Amino acid sequence: MADLRTHAGMWDELVDEHGQPRPASAALVEQLALLGMAELQQRQDLAELDIVGMGITFTVYSDGRGIDRAWPFDIVPRVIAADEWRRIEGGLKQRLRALNMFIDDIYNDQRVVADGVFPIELLEHSVNFRAQCRGASPKFGVWAHICGSDLVRDADGTMYVLEDNLRVPSGVSYMLENRAISKRAFADLFSQQSILPVDGYTDELKRMLASLAPDGIEDPTVVVLTPGIYNSAYFEHSFLAQRMGAALVEGADLVVGDDDCVYMRTINGRERVDVVYRRIDDMFLDPEAFRPDSALGVPGLMRAWRAGNVAIANAPGAGVADDKVVYAWVPDLIRYYLLEEPLLANVPTYRCLYPDERNYVIEHIGELVIKPANESGGYGLLIGDRASRTEIDDAIANIEADPRNWVAQPILSLSTAPTMCDGELEPRHLDLRPFILSGSAQYVTAGGLTRVALRRGSLVVNSSQGGGSKDTWIVET
Amino acid sequence: MLLSRVADNLYWGARYVERADDTARVVRTFTEVLLDLPVGVASSWEPLLAVAGSRELFDAGHARANESDIVRFLVSDEANPGSVVSSVASGRENLRTTREVLPREAWQAVNDLYLYTQRDGESGVDRRTRARFLSRVISESQRLDGVVSGAMHRDEAYELWRLGQVIERADMTTRVLGVRAAALLATSDRVDDYDEVQWMGVLRSLSALQMYQRATRGPIVGSGVVAFLLFDRHFPRSVAGCLERARAALLRLPHPDRTLPAVDALDRLLADLPDSADDGRALDAAMDEVQFALGHLNVAVHDTFVRAAE
Repeated sequence: MADLRTHAGMWDELVDEHGQPRPASAALVEQLALLGMAELQQRQDLAELDIVGMGITFTVYSDGRGIDRAWPFDIVPRVIAADEWRRIEGGLKQRLRALNMFIDDIYNDQRVVADGVFPIELLEHSVNFRAQCRGASPKFGVWAHICGSDLVRDADGTMYVLEDNLRVPSGVSYMLENRAISKRAFADLFSQQSILPVDGYTDELKRMLASLAPDGIEDPTVVVLTPGIYNSAYFEHSFLAQRMGAALVEGADLVVGDDDCVYMRTINGRERVDVVYRRIDDMFLDPEAFRPDSALGVPGLMRAWRAGNVAIANAPGAGVADDKVVYAWVPDLIRYYLLEEPLLANVPTYRCLYPDERNYVIEHIGELVIKPANESGGYGLLIGDRASRTEIDDAIANIEADPRNWVAQPILSLSTAPTMCDGELEPRHLDLRPFILSGSAQYVTAGGLTRVALRRGSLVVNSSQGGGSKDTWIVET
Repeated sequence: MLLSRVADNLYWGARYVERADDTARVVRTFTEVLLDLPVGVASSWEPLLAVAGSRELFDAGHARANESDIVRFLVSDEANPGSVVSSVASGRENLRTTREVLPREAWQAVNDLYLYTQRDGESGVDRRTRARFLSRVISESQRLDGVVSGAMHRDEAYELWRLGQVIERADMTTRVLGVRAAALLATSDRVDDYDEVQWMGVLRSLSALQMYQRATRGPIVGSGVVAFLLFDRHFPRSVAGCLERARAALLRLPHPDRTLPAVDALDRLLADLPDSADDGRALDAAMDEVQFALGHLNVAVHDTFVRAAE
């Protein structure tokens, strides 16, 4: 068991190309060898029992029914050296500063357009641009208060930002739960070395949300707005509300009064709400402003927000920058707004909107990953070198029908880490989703949620499509 | 601050879990009591259906009323919303949306109870494993109660939990007494020889036998049992004890002026009751009245905490 297998030509997070542990992973790799497979399997089984007992679930949809599944977790953690992490953290903060300045600019003066940096026609067909938000000015100029950016590492060890989730990113509760479970599985290692704690997140989240309250409110009331128990991330909504001591509300629990203030219905009557951490998509937030058929939202919520009587996080319309086409401009936006060079790399991105880039994509489709610009959850993704002829033909037809909605990137060799697979440790591909908070100040989680593709060779890490997860250790070396 | 919707879920979550616990106690005891009776004497399982108040639903789905059909219906039948397994599932469904106000271990306890009843529900039917299954349901419910008692802030959420629990409990106590009263009406001389065994069964099914003996130091006779279960406010499953706790909970919740009249009415009703168990008909009618008044209290709770903010 001592030698951990890796894939030739790919980066492994725990061991180098000679099979030697990387410095930050040395203690872990030694421990894995010491324990042996039988003991590791036992700890894996115990962890899975903990997950069922603690009710850590996510919901998948099948035949129109939501089914609660136990959260898939692999006990072997993914390790990142603390000094590398500090560089990544700096890059993420820089990125979010620029993205927030961009969103604020787009809904207000559009300097970035006037200065010729960002072509406005890109927003003509944007499904995430909200005309209803024009002229709004949320506190601190921040729109994307909570961001989950997906990071991947290529074969040469470079960390890339793959996408920024600026609407309602989820996964942070699983990051926290994974840590709770992995502390039980590897208690000894936590006492031997310095692994950065992740538990501060919910306090930071609460502080950030409270800072958004309308001016003059002493002890603001923060609520978490959920679409309800049948949402796939309901577990997380409940978890975060619990940890923050905030009320978990559904649309029907809130009402906007004649004074344009938001209230919740309580056993004492109506109580004022100052900050809404919404986990509902823009389009369902307020049937008066967006989809009139939405039963999930709160009629009048946008009115209250525009009047400055309530803060909404993330702000409506923040998703305009959560778009794989806008993504291609992020390095330019960082240079433009901050006069700095990007600290974190963007993956080269071809925009099918432009004929020359589109032709390149169609000609080289076998070497590229094709992505819809506005989908999340991995749906509609095509990996060129694994797709059948029919799938490729369909993808080309889709691109030609709606070029604005498609982008393509080179196929990265996602890094791997040893993962428990049928009683063996096998290398499996993974990514990392850190969470970045922006309010009056910024905060980045220590690591984030590592998602792992459990099927051999698979690059799809989404839990809705058979992905698993790992704890992420930021280790001081 | 407590959302009306959450208040409603807590109240019903507590009621459903209590219902599962109570039903498990009644079925367990009934099994034991029947084993004590000689062959041919009152060996009908039908009173169990009357306690659960689900005779009609049972008859709709069953041609006969034998032991295993009745016990399955009350313990593991998912088509019966009042079965142990269904009550636990409904309790969990309600409490799922209250996780941020309950102590975390409480959700774990509910979840464990749910997983256990889903997996082993059928083992509650077979006589050989029935007691083990039902005892586990009871002890897991008690674990939940222990977590709530030992770890929950005495806030409004806690009071709503208690309220749901004691209202359900009072309801079950009156049902058990009501069924015993109905059985008295149909008594033949021969069964009467086993009067003491049957009253012991009543006490046992409400986990009251030992406390009755300690508190009264008297023989087990109908009038003593009825008085204990209705009026002894120091016993937590007596109707008076449950009402006292309901009153205390309501006093700590908003607008007691709107809810307490329903408790006052119950207190008055209780005060006017005869404490004699000899007249089965009177006892049966009295229990119906108490249940009816508990229904009024339930409506007052809903109107005050759920409907008022609409």
